[in-house]
Amino acid sequence: MSCWDKYDWEGGNCMMIGFVIIAALAALAFAAINYYGVKKKDPGTEQMVQISGAIQEGARAFLNHEYKVIFKVSLVIAIVLGVVVSLSGAIAFVFGAVMSASAGWIGMNIATLANVRVSNEARNTKSLGKTLRVAFRGGSVMGLSVGGFALLGLALVYLVFGVLLKQASPENLRFHTNWLGISDIPFTMTVSSYALGCSIIAMFNRVGGGIYTKAADMGADLVGKTEAGIPEDDPRNPATIADNVGDNVGDVAGLGSDLLESYVGSLVSAMILAAYIYFSQGTIAASLVSKLVYAPLLVAAGGIVSSMVGILFLLVKKVSDNPHKELNAATFMGAGLTIIFSGVITFFLFQGEDVASAGFALGALSPWVAAVLGIVSGIVIGQIAEYYTSYDYKPTQKIASSSQEGPALTITQGMSVGMISVMAPVVILGVAIIAAHATAGLYGVAMAAIGMLSFVTVTVSVDTYGPIADNAGGISEMARLHPEVRGITDELDAVGNTTAAIGKGFAIGSATLAALSLFSSYLYAQAGESVEHGIELVLNMVSPLTLVGGLVGAALPYLFSGMLIEAVANAARKMVQEVRRQFKADPGIIQGTSLPDYTTCISISSAGAISEMKVPALISVATPLVTGFIFGAGFVGGLLIGTTLSSVMLALYTANAGGAWDNGKKYVEHGHFGGKGSNAHKAAVVGDTVGDPLKDTVGPSLDILIKIMAIVSLIAVSIFGKFNLFALLG
Amino acid sequence: MYYYVVFYPIEALIASQLEPKEFGMYMARGSKKGSAERLMFAEIESDCSEAFDWEFARSKCVAHSDGEPKHSLYLSIYRVIEQIPLEAYRNVYLVNQDGTTLGLEARDYKASTEWKGYGLYKEHCPVHPFIASSLKPKELSDYIISDTSKKITVPAIIFTDIRSIDLEEKEHTGNIGSMFERDLDHLKECIDDVKGKKGKLTKTIDRSFDSKFTYQIIGEGIYIARGKGILFYPMPNREELKEIDYDWGRSANIFW
Repeated sequence: MSCWDKYDWEGGNCMMIGFVIIAALAALAFAAINYYGVKKKDPGTEQMVQISGAIQEGARAFLNHEYKVIFKVSLVIAIVLGVVVSLSGAIAFVFGAVMSASAGWIGMNIATLANVRVSNEARNTKSLGKTLRVAFRGGSVMGLSVGGFALLGLALVYLVFGVLLKQASPENLRFHTNWLGISDIPFTMTVSSYALGCSIIAMFNRVGGGIYTKAADMGADLVGKTEAGIPEDDPRNPATIADNVGDNVGDVAGLGSDLLESYVGSLVSAMILAAYIYFSQGTIAASLVSKLVYAPLLVAAGGIVSSMVGILFLLVKKVSDNPHKELNAATFMGAGLTIIFSGVITFFLFQGEDVASAGFALGALSPWVAAVLGIVSGIVIGQIAEYYTSYDYKPTQKIASSSQEGPALTITQGMSVGMISVMAPVVILGVAIIAAHATAGLYGVAMAAIGMLSFVTVTVSVDTYGPIADNAGGISEMARLHPEVRGITDELDAVGNTTAAIGKGFAIGSATLAALSLFSSYLYAQAGESVEHGIELVLNMVSPLTLVGGLVGAALPYLFSGMLIEAVANAARKMVQEVRRQFKADPGIIQGTSLPDYTTCISISSAGAISEMKVPALISVATPLVTGFIFGAGFVGGLLIGTTLSSVMLALYTANAGGAWDNGKKYVEHGHFGGKGSNAHKAAVVGDTVGDPLKDTVGPSLDILIKIMAIVSLIAVSIFGKFNLFALLG
Repeated sequence: MYYYVVFYPIEALIASQLEPKEFGMYMARGSKKGSAERLMFAEIESDCSEAFDWEFARSKCVAHSDGEPKHSLYLSIYRVIEQIPLEAYRNVYLVNQDGTTLGLEARDYKASTEWKGYGLYKEHCPVHPFIASSLKPKELSDYIISDTSKKITVPAIIFTDIRSIDLEEKEHTGNIGSMFERDLDHLKECIDDVKGKKGKLTKTIDRSFDSKFTYQIIGEGIYIARGKGILFYPMPNREELKEIDYDWGRSANIFW
């Protein structure tokens, strides 16, 4: 039977999926245009080309090495999925991994091409606006790739497995038993596997990139700046190229695959929930459920198209010399159009359906209202993050002021700000969850997560612009370009720091909402075929196993974070020793008469990240499986709740405390409390150094930890729900 | 062959085959010991004083057998500046911790027009106090060197005037390093003493402040005085420094 058959759900599906695929392809085409648009620009002087070449080579070498490790892990997971779950699951998993890896690879590549061209644009034009445009064009390649690859992959999975192989047809949205006697809803397993593929790449990219970038950063700062007194990005610092490589592998490839995973996680969580809601509530019409399944794809496609307009707007207009205003304009245009677009889509999609049967309280527009709640709460959480981390506001200024009394009070005050900052976003998330749930049930909560990330294409573009500008600044310094040029790249870099803090707020918020949706699906899956119509999802926290699972789950993010911080410290220690060794072995390095050995420092960061990333990344996958096969589904349910609650708090705390320490130092450097060289500055540097691995390695990795554990549990619950040690022992 | 008078953080006369910027780098970083310290020195002409053995310098300050230039040969390590006439001074050099070196040329002394009724000064040589004074730089050097009404005088002095800040507004200090981190009440009292009716011309704020001194807080410039004469080495402002040597400014924490 053809996809274009007259059956409503299939015909509608094909039309809709066609639109989604066209939107995703258009995003990728736009990315390609921008990629070549940046690439054809003049990279500048021979020295600039040499420096950027070294950065590019280092970044490529690391990502190649990292992807080899990921390939082996992914191969094992794909085989297990193929054998235990289904072939479609294995294929979808590989597909997800390939899409995520591709986005990371392309983003890293364009960032290493764009950095030198941004620097050269500033050199040639001396115009902030024109330079901003090149940096943003480079960043947009990553944003468009994230949106395009994520959506294209998911749409193809949906088209092939959902539509052509009919896994998503209403009659198939029920439990099937495979050759091992394991029951699951095939479509939910397939899309979950796709999300798992994205999550695996994201986890390795974030953890590996995070360790790499902070080890290099700390190594460069602790010896080069503090001991030898040489400025940031000085070519005499042996770790400076590694530091710039770190920006690309951590803040570009890591961030891109992280947000791609969040994006896919939110879409998939809504699609899975729709399937379970249909199965558990027999009152929903078949036509409605298929719309509930593909509505997330349509809203996402609307978000991509809106984001493309926002990006195009900034690329074609006359750009002013106020980068913050310009970037905000592109983002708000993307967000505003997404709201309008998704409203139109939702209205026409659900109009005439009996949406009350799906628990929609506000008619056809209920999912849209939930998505808007997500968008608004994401923006509010971003603003809260900015309040607590920007030096324009009291909390960060207070940390800077405390630095006058030494590093101990800098740390104490920063911890205080970080802890206090957790409450407000959690309250906003709580309000959003309650309101979204009241509007459209659990599906509404999933739609809120989608809303928050629906314009991810433009937000990732803005986020990627930051490290590109940062690298451009580094190249300008290393190539000793004119101070005016360096002033331009420095100003662009400063704006990037603020956008990064806001982006983290979105990532944490959406992760929480998506995790809640995935957790609800987990409970449905745990109940299995015994789910009866009108079932109320309950996790019995009084059960000792569930309670202990909750406790272990709450402790897990601390174990995970501790391992990451130790990994950064181990790699940074080796880097510090190497930089000291080079300075001692060859005084000509400091004198500027001989070149440092950049390659050894790159190798130290690379080897440190590769060797240290494996255990934390594997813990995130293995913990729900191991505990599930020993203690059963109830324990894992508690584990997920514990991990989610604990991770959200820790992620907010680390992101905001780290950001506030960073900007507290910048506040001092901008001429407060004595400025650079003062004791207040020395104390603020300690705060910044402590906060660096927290905000750039731990916080972002926790977002992924929540979702990867939820997805692994969701996929495996049908197996360990039946086969676990406690069940076998009776 | 070059002759350098180092006046911060030690006082010494050193002969060297290194030109000024190389000498600054060598003194800051050493060749093997991996040191990292700031210093200030001036280049002087040879044979300018009979107090030193110039012939010894010429015979000993020669290249090594492998052709490596002689880095340093100490000719004297105290009471140096009192022996050197002002006419012998060439440029003054400010060296950062990382060895980057900025040269300053002497200009005719002109009293500052922005006078607040007091000045803050950091003496570098022969002693090192941080002082407040009601005197302008030339008046101060005359007072310290030639005013015999007081018990103690010195034959020559090198000092810097220090940028003053709004002491009531500590949050917005600008990039000044740690100079003003000590007891601000004491600092205000010292300023009041020299501005007030007590008639005090100078007041010591701190006896030694070398570790707190940074180039960020140099006001008008550096002064070398001997007898009735004074040499003035103006410090470039931020815009001038950007053009002259931006990288030196970054290393000195003037730019970031």
